[in-house]
Amino acid sequence: MKEEQIEKLRGVVRDCVSKHLYSSAIFFADKVAAFTNDPADIYMQAQALFLGRHYRRAFHLLNASKIVLRDLRFRYLAAKCLEELKEWDQCLSMLGDARVDEHGNVYDTKDCNVMYLDKDGEDREINISSAICFLRGRAYEALENRAQARQWYKAAIKADPLCYEALECLIENHMLACEEETSLLSSLQFGPEDGWLSSFYSCLIKKYDKESVIEAKFRELEKESCNGNSTSPSFMHTLKNDTDLLACKAEYYHQCGEYHKCFELTSILLEKDPFHLKCTLVHLAAAMELGNSNELYLMACNLVKDYPQKALSWFAVGCYYYCIKKYDQSRRYFSKATSLDGTFASAWIGYGNAYAAQEEGDQAMSAYRTAARLFPGCHLPTLYIGMEYMRTHSYKLAEQFFMQAKTICPSDPLVYNELGVVAYNMKEYNKAVLWFEKTLAHIPSLSQLWEPTVVNLAHAYRKLKMYHEATSCYERALTLSTRSLSTYAGLAYTYHLQDNFTAAITHYHKALWLKPDDQFCTEMLSLAIIDEGRSGIDPKMEFR
Amino acid sequence: MEEDEVVDGDFYLLAKSYFDCREYRRAAHVLQDQTGKKATFLRCYALYLAGEKRKEEEMIELEGPLGKSDAVNREVASLERELSILRKNGIIDPFGLYLYGLVLIEKGNQNLARTVLMESVNSYPWNWSAWSELQSLCTTIEILNSLTLSNHWMKEFFLASAYQELRMHNESLTKYEHLQNTFSFSNYIRAQIAKAQYCLREFEQVEVIFEELLRNDPYRVEDVDMYSNVLYAKECFSALSYLAHRVFMTDKYRPESCCIIGNYYSLKGQHEKSVLYFRRALKLNKNYLSAWTLMGHEYVEMKNTPAAIDAYRRAVDINPRDYRAWYGLGQAYEMMGMPFYALHYFKKSVFLQSNDSRLWIAMAQCYETDQLHMLEEAIKCYRRAASCNDREAIALHQLAKLHAELGRSEEAALYYKKDLERMEAEEREGPNMVEALLFLAQHCREQKRFEEAEVYCTRLLDYTGPEKETAKSMLRGMRTAESSFPLMDIEHFHP
Repeated sequence: MKEEQIEKLRGVVRDCVSKHLYSSAIFFADKVAAFTNDPADIYMQAQALFLGRHYRRAFHLLNASKIVLRDLRFRYLAAKCLEELKEWDQCLSMLGDARVDEHGNVYDTKDCNVMYLDKDGEDREINISSAICFLRGRAYEALENRAQARQWYKAAIKADPLCYEALECLIENHMLACEEETSLLSSLQFGPEDGWLSSFYSCLIKKYDKESVIEAKFRELEKESCNGNSTSPSFMHTLKNDTDLLACKAEYYHQCGEYHKCFELTSILLEKDPFHLKCTLVHLAAAMELGNSNELYLMACNLVKDYPQKALSWFAVGCYYYCIKKYDQSRRYFSKATSLDGTFASAWIGYGNAYAAQEEGDQAMSAYRTAARLFPGCHLPTLYIGMEYMRTHSYKLAEQFFMQAKTICPSDPLVYNELGVVAYNMKEYNKAVLWFEKTLAHIPSLSQLWEPTVVNLAHAYRKLKMYHEATSCYERALTLSTRSLSTYAGLAYTYHLQDNFTAAITHYHKALWLKPDDQFCTEMLSLAIIDEGRSGIDPKMEFR
Repeated sequence: MEEDEVVDGDFYLLAKSYFDCREYRRAAHVLQDQTGKKATFLRCYALYLAGEKRKEEEMIELEGPLGKSDAVNREVASLERELSILRKNGIIDPFGLYLYGLVLIEKGNQNLARTVLMESVNSYPWNWSAWSELQSLCTTIEILNSLTLSNHWMKEFFLASAYQELRMHNESLTKYEHLQNTFSFSNYIRAQIAKAQYCLREFEQVEVIFEELLRNDPYRVEDVDMYSNVLYAKECFSALSYLAHRVFMTDKYRPESCCIIGNYYSLKGQHEKSVLYFRRALKLNKNYLSAWTLMGHEYVEMKNTPAAIDAYRRAVDINPRDYRAWYGLGQAYEMMGMPFYALHYFKKSVFLQSNDSRLWIAMAQCYETDQLHMLEEAIKCYRRAASCNDREAIALHQLAKLHAELGRSEEAALYYKKDLERMEAEEREGPNMVEALLFLAQHCREQKRFEEAEVYCTRLLDYTGPEKETAKSMLRGMRTAESSFPLMDIEHFHP
């Protein structure tokens, strides 16, 4: 057969692949390879087989060729086949033994003489060694060797910052603590034209920072995309409204407790891209916080219909049941989600929370413990374990776990609040005040969400007999929410301790208006009223 | 966008029509992308009302045991955020500010609400709703004086009404009379004057004003319930019956009408029916203050103290400056034998209405109970009561009695004498008179002022009962003592 005929056939194969006619592609690739016996054609044939899901055949073909160990692409494709066949050990040995250190630096021992044939004709391609590192990470993760997996993912993104999948795995599976994430990002070497990508990545990582810092990041990114690409106006517009970026923003709103804003944003996004997975997750969480069970129901139904194999879909069902307080059912669906995808952090936490909501501490703890083991970069499970210990009054243990959560994520105000509560319960009121003040220093903006912290601070001040500070804190809490029993009761008690009986009585009444059968307030009210009666008439009033 | 301020845009008109049909969310949706000030206000206000409507519905759905619930207006949080941004950027009109004020009040942020409402009325003084919200935030005269309001005749109306609420009735009356020079035919001002007179307990005046008012404005229902209170207090059966039938024909589903009818039944002694009408008034307007208080009174009459307490509590919750409700609470607790609680509530009411002798007397009675037994305090209270025109004349008598009990016969005699003088002046007779005379007679005898003692004893002889006999024997004793004095002297000096 003539050279140009073969060239034409190669074209046919490529076209078949792009039109997803894999059987035809396999047929013609086989013919071409038979004619030429060129490694490049064999690779093409293997590629077609791989795409046609004939993994075993593709692997066999690659293995039969002599150069499988020498050409990185052959090796990578063969490993991919083994990945699909779930033969992880073989896959790893196919990729060759290299070592990686804690920071994701690769030490290649003996593969320095590999050759790398036939680059694709593109300008920019993902570094093959990055892809290999990533695949190693996948294999280790499948073998449940998370430490190795994490290191290989790191190596992958280091080898090529464009290998987004590696970063995604690291972030979504909460493999890194806050600091590690930042240091990894700063160690990446971006090409000169990829400055925007650097900013984009920095938006992806955890967002417990100050409001101003985060907003600046977003603004920078929006501006960056305009400046860097002033020649192509269409691109400028697309990135500003990019779904991924907006999903990040939504996640940020969620962390700030701006659930309304978050929900609005995710609703718009989901209209544009109905099953954007990350956005869906944030949307579900926001709907949960807002108690929008109707929306959750619809979402869950649609997800289960379209993606019955996704853990997220069953997670949504669990969320719905959790929202309507049917914890038994919700637990069933959360557990289904975890069995579909063991690395789905939210489902594990939801599973624990559903137990905790019914005060079944032991089961809740075991779910949290699993989550903490699986997701070392996520501080929430540790935090929740601490909360469970606190509920059983094991304050020392609780404090330990909170401290641990603090090292994982030092910027989440909730951690400081819980530390304060522990200190308060251990009667270390000075320490409690410090922690609560630290909480308030860390929150993005004072909103109703943080009203309990203000009240806690006030309680601690009261215990320290700093009544003036306590009163002003209580008043501050009342500007955030006027429906809290503990605020009124605390304020009343503070006044009572200062012998201001009339004010105390007024506030006890307000507390009892919210909860008429509150024992503390009822008793204290009677005492205050007797004290007031005993104290006689206020001379000011008498001689007015 | 300036254009839409002058000529209403189509969207605005559509939204306004929806709004008028009470389809609030629909209205808000239409205006979603409109940025004019007027459109923004209408959108926010529609959302606010939609939230209020939902809140009311939830209250009925989730009604708790005491007829209250935790329902909140869910729109408030987001409205607050939006309006605060608008205000920060200075693109908010006086109406927007008014709404912001409402939202802030709902959130409990009173100081900012006051500032915002002040801004609103200063830039647009003709919005009475804003004024009345502002007034509800002026709970003390200090706060009222600290407001900086630009001069406008609306301010006078505001001040008059605020003074009234702060129970500075005379100041309020002056203001209204001054305003009446300008607005000489205003029924509103007349009604307000009547209200002030009512609070000053000048019932005759109130009656006159209302008679005239109802001649000019025969189908008026507003404020007429106050007139019915006066008729009730004066026990004018026929007039109250006439009034009740009249408002019934005008509009029987107004809270005012229901209160009038409730008063009517109450006067007839049909308390169950009366409660029924007060309940109806409250169904029509949950925050109708006087209906809560009056219903409390009815329950007291029916000896249903828990229900009375609940009703009074609702009243003070709506307006903590209603002294009658505080007094009612005190009475109810007194009935339940809880004098400490009663005392607290009487104190509250006396703080608001310090010139009402009934309140001081009630307080004093609490101090007198066995549980407290703080007689010094009771004396203080009675003294206050005596100094502020004690119509039933209980205070002087009680003061005398208490002093006598504490063995301070000088003071006791003083008060008995005062009481006696007063009874003489008012030509009243009764057991108090006898008691006073007896005490004074005994006191004078002990002080060896026999002539005075004799006068009192002689007066006692006009009455029947054991005191008459006591007086007789005292007189006899004194006479023999008198006649025997010289004898004794002689005996004394005669060895």
